[in-house]
Amino acid sequence: MQRRTFLTLSAASGLSACLPRLPWQQPPVSVLRPGMEMGHRLRDGVPAPDPARTRQVEVAILGSGVAGLFAGWRLAQQGFQDFCVLAGPEAHGNAAAGSLGGIGCPRGAHYLPLPSRESAHVREMLAEFGILQGNPQADRPVYDETALVHAPEERLLIGGVWQAGLVPQHGLDATEQAQCQRFIATLHDLSTARGQDGRKAFAMPLALSSRDPAFRQLDTERFADWLTREGFTGNAVRWYANYCCRDDYGAGIDEVSAWAGIHYFASRAGQAANAEDGSVLTWPEGLHALTRRMCERIGARRIQQGTAVSVRPRGKGVEVVCLEASGQSSFLLRAKRVILAMPLHVAARIHDLSAYGFVRERDQPPHAAWMVSNFLLDGFPVERSVQQPLAWDNVVYGGAGLGWVVATHQWLRLARPAQTVFTAYHAFSGQAPSAVRSQMLNATPEALLDVAGQDLRAAYGDDFERRVVQAEISLRGHAMAIPTPGFLSRPGIDALRHADGAILFAHADLSGLSVFEEASNQGDLAARKILGA
Amino acid sequence: MSNRLLILSVFIVASCGLAYELVAGALASYLLGDSVLQFSSIIGCYLFAMGVGSHFSKYIKDEDLLARFIDIELLVGLVGGVSATLLFLVFAWVAAPFRSVLYALVFVVGVLVGMEIPLVMRILNARQAAFSELVSRVLTFDYLGALFVSLLFPMVLAPMLGLARTAFLFGIANAGVAMVAVRAFRHELKHAGSQALRASMVLCLLIAGFLLADRVTQWSERGLFGDEIVHAETTPYQRLVVTKWHDDLRLYINGNLQFSSRDEHRYHEALVHPALSALPAPRQVLVLGGGDGLAVREILKYPSVEAVTVVDLDPAMTRLFARAPLLTGLNGGALRDKRVKIVNEDAGQWLETATQHYDAIIIDLPDPNSYGLGKLYSEPMYRLVRKRLAETGLLVVQSTSPYFAPRAYWCVAATLEAAGFKTYPYHAYVPSFGEWGFILADTQGRYQPPTHYAVSLRWLDAAVTRELFRFPADMSRVEVEPNRLNSQNLVHYFEEDWHKVIR
Repeated sequence: MQRRTFLTLSAASGLSACLPRLPWQQPPVSVLRPGMEMGHRLRDGVPAPDPARTRQVEVAILGSGVAGLFAGWRLAQQGFQDFCVLAGPEAHGNAAAGSLGGIGCPRGAHYLPLPSRESAHVREMLAEFGILQGNPQADRPVYDETALVHAPEERLLIGGVWQAGLVPQHGLDATEQAQCQRFIATLHDLSTARGQDGRKAFAMPLALSSRDPAFRQLDTERFADWLTREGFTGNAVRWYANYCCRDDYGAGIDEVSAWAGIHYFASRAGQAANAEDGSVLTWPEGLHALTRRMCERIGARRIQQGTAVSVRPRGKGVEVVCLEASGQSSFLLRAKRVILAMPLHVAARIHDLSAYGFVRERDQPPHAAWMVSNFLLDGFPVERSVQQPLAWDNVVYGGAGLGWVVATHQWLRLARPAQTVFTAYHAFSGQAPSAVRSQMLNATPEALLDVAGQDLRAAYGDDFERRVVQAEISLRGHAMAIPTPGFLSRPGIDALRHADGAILFAHADLSGLSVFEEASNQGDLAARKILGA
Repeated sequence: MSNRLLILSVFIVASCGLAYELVAGALASYLLGDSVLQFSSIIGCYLFAMGVGSHFSKYIKDEDLLARFIDIELLVGLVGGVSATLLFLVFAWVAAPFRSVLYALVFVVGVLVGMEIPLVMRILNARQAAFSELVSRVLTFDYLGALFVSLLFPMVLAPMLGLARTAFLFGIANAGVAMVAVRAFRHELKHAGSQALRASMVLCLLIAGFLLADRVTQWSERGLFGDEIVHAETTPYQRLVVTKWHDDLRLYINGNLQFSSRDEHRYHEALVHPALSALPAPRQVLVLGGGDGLAVREILKYPSVEAVTVVDLDPAMTRLFARAPLLTGLNGGALRDKRVKIVNEDAGQWLETATQHYDAIIIDLPDPNSYGLGKLYSEPMYRLVRKRLAETGLLVVQSTSPYFAPRAYWCVAATLEAAGFKTYPYHAYVPSFGEWGFILADTQGRYQPPTHYAVSLRWLDAAVTRELFRFPADMSRVEVEPNRLNSQNLVHYFEEDWHKVIR
C-alpha cells in the first residue's frame, strides 16, 4: 500500500468515527406513492370482487381529504347523525402527515394563511378548535400563539447570503429592487380592489370574487404576459412571482392564468390581533393538525376504511361499491345521498360525469406533480452566519426546489432538539405533468433523493448529507389542479358544482385552486346542500 | 565520536517523545476532565501512531537516512513544541473541534517519533556497529530517556514551567539534536547548508515561543475570563467555565457571567425569599433552570418544604454542581439533599406533560438572548406554568436588568399579565451584575411582600424588602408589547437594549 493511500484511508476512517454514517453510504429512503396503486387499478378497470356485506347510511362522504372531512365536520357540527366518511386510499389527502424519529412532519400541505373575512367557514372551524379565540368574524381575531408561525418566519439564500423575507433584496441593483417594491405595492392595491358588483376583485374562496369582466378577463392570459405588460421584466421580480406560483399551484408564471397569479397575492388579506399582517398558521405536522381535529369531531365510528370503485343511482338512493383496504374483498354502501370528495379524474372513473355535461377534454384541469421529502437529521446543519438563523421556511433563490420548512420550528423548547426533520418541497413545474408522472413511476429512490435534496445541498453542502439519518419521500403524481388560463370558465365544472341531486361533488378541483380554503369551502357547500334539504 | 553522539540523541529524542505524550495527556485531563480516559486514549493513539511511523521508516532510502533523520527531528520539534499552545488557543476560542485537533496532533507527533528510533538504528547499522551491541545500546538509552522525563515532568517541569513552555522546551531539544547532527555530519550531507538554515529558523521560532508561551496562554485563558479556569466543559447545550480568583468563584455559561460567589447570595435571596416567605407554609417547589443549586440552597432553608423539583436541561451542569467539592461548598450540597429531585429535560417539554401543582415556581433561566430562550418567556409558556401553580401559589421569574434592558424587563411583565397573572415587579442590586430585575406573579392579586423573614439571611430584611418593590423614576415602567412568538420581540428588545450598554 502506498503511503498516501494509507494516510487517506486512515484519515477517512478517523473521520467516520465522528459521523453517524459512512460518507459513501446512502441513508435509508422510503418512497410513498399515496393513492397510486388504487388509482391505477381504477384506471386499468380491474374488476372488484362481489360485495360481501352492506352498510346503510343516510349520507356517505367518499374521500377523506380536506373537502370530505370538512363536509363531515359541518354535518357533525350541525348535529347530523347518520353519515359516514369513506377514508379512500389516501387518508387526509394533501393534508397527510408522517413521523420520523418520533418527530411529526407534513407529507403534504404545511400551512394556512390567516383566513380573510370571506373565509368565514375556516374561521368558524378554527374557533371551534380553540385556535381562533373570541369573535370568529372580527377584523383582527386573536389566534393561539403556538399555531402562529414563530419568528423567524422566512429567509432567502441569495448571492451566497441569507436575507430575511422571501422578496429578493440582497445584492440587487436599484432597478431590480424598485421593480420588486412596485410589484408588492401593485398587488397590495389589487387586494383591496372591488368590481362593479361591489365584491372584492380577488376573494378567498374565489367563488366570492367579483364577476366584473375588467378582472375576469385576466383569466384569458398567462401570468407571465401580464407581468411583462405591467413592466415587471427584471429577473428578481419574475423569479419571485414564479416561485410563489410554483409554491401554490405547482406550475410557474408561464403556465398559470394571470387571474390566478394575482389571486395568490391579492386574496390573502387575513389579519390577527397578535401577529403581523401576512402571517400564517402552522403546526409541526402541517395541516394534518386540522384534519385530525376534524376527524375527532366526526368520530372514529363514522370513518369507514375502504375506497369507492363505483357509484350508481339506485331507486331514490345511491349504491357505492367499496373495495376494502386489503383490496381482496368489497362491500356495498347504500346511502340516500353521497358526496364525491375526490379529484375529478378519479370521480370520472367511478361515476359517469358526462351525464352532468362534464367533458374530460374540455373541463378536466391538468394536475401538477409534487414531491414532499422529509429528512430526519442528527443535529442541525451549521449555518453560514448567526445574523439570519434558521427560519421556519427557507428558500434558495434560483433553486430547483421550493425550499424547506423545519418540523420542530413550532416546538416550545429552550434548546434545539437533538434531532429534527426538514421537509423539502419540490414541484415538477416546466415539464409536462404526464411525463413527470411516468418518470416518477420508474425513478429509483436514490435518483429521487438527489432531486429532493438539491436546495439543502446548495445551502449546507456536505454537512446536510452527513446529518441525514433517514429520508421519506411522498410522491403525489396528481397533487393539485393547475389554474391555467380559462380555468374560471369551465362549463362542466360549473355543472358539477351545481349538482344537487342524490350525488354531490366536493373537491378543490371544483374551484380550480388546490388550497385548504377552497377545498374546505367545497366541502362546506356540499354539506349545506344536505343540511338544507 | 559520531556514534556516541547518535546514542546521546536517542536519549534526548526518547525524552522528547514521551514528553509530548505527557503534555497532551495532562492538557486534555486539565481541560476536558476524566483523566483516566484522556491519558489512556492519548497513549493508545500515540503508540499506534508510533507503530505507523516505524512502518513507514522502511520507505526511506539508505542514502537519505541522515538527512531525513534531521528533517524529522526539526518537524517533531516544531509540531510538538507548539502543540500545547495551539491546543490552548483552540480550546479558548473555538470549542467544537478541540478533540479532533488534539488527536490529530498526537497522531502526527507519534508518527514522526515512531520513525526516529528505526532510523537511528539503521544509521548506526550502516556504520558497522555490531547488531547486538547496537540494539542493546539504543534501547537502553531509549528507555532511560523515558524514565528521565516521566520523573522530571510531574516533579519539575509541569509545576515550574507549565505545559505550554514544557512543550516548547522539548521542541528546542529536538531541534537542538538536529542542529548538532547537521554540524557533526556536515560532510556526509548533500544539503548541509540549507538544513542548517532550516534548523536555526526552527530553533529561533521555538525559543521565541518558549519566551512568549506564558503570555499566549494567559491571554487565551484569562483574556477570556480574567481569572484562572478551574473547570471548563463543552456540553451538547452550552459551554461551562468555572473560574477562581482568591475566594471568588465564578460560573460562565457561553461566556456570560452567571454568578460570582462574592455576591450571589444577594441574587438568590432576592430570587427566592420575597415569594417563599410570603407563603404560610410552602411545601412543593419547582425550579426551572437553576442547575447551580444556589436557589435550591435558599429554598431548603424553609422547614415546611417537602420537595423541590429542579428542571435543568443540562445533566453536565447539575452533575458538576452536585459533585465538585468547590461548588457543593457553595450550594451547601443542595442538589444532593434527599428532598431535591433533578430532572434533566427541556423545561418546555417537561411542562407540556407535568401534572403536579406547586406552591412556588421559580424560573431562573438564562436571559432571553436567543429565539429558543425567547420561547420560554412567552404567553403560551406562562399559561403552561400557570396550570402547574397552586391556586394560592406564587411565581417568580428572573427577568434581566430593568436598568440596562428596560424594554426587555417590562416585556416579561406584560407577557405574564397577558397570560392572566397579576405581577409584582421588583429589583435588587447585585454588584457583579448591577441592578437586576425579578417579577413575582400570582393569579389572585393578593400578594403582600414579607415584613419579616423567619429564615437566616445575609442581606435581605424588612427594610431592604420595601426598597425592592419601589421603582425610582429612572427605572419606571415603559409600555411595551407582550412577547409574541410570532415576532419574538422580547429577544429584539433584549438585544437592542443591551447593545446600547455593552461596549
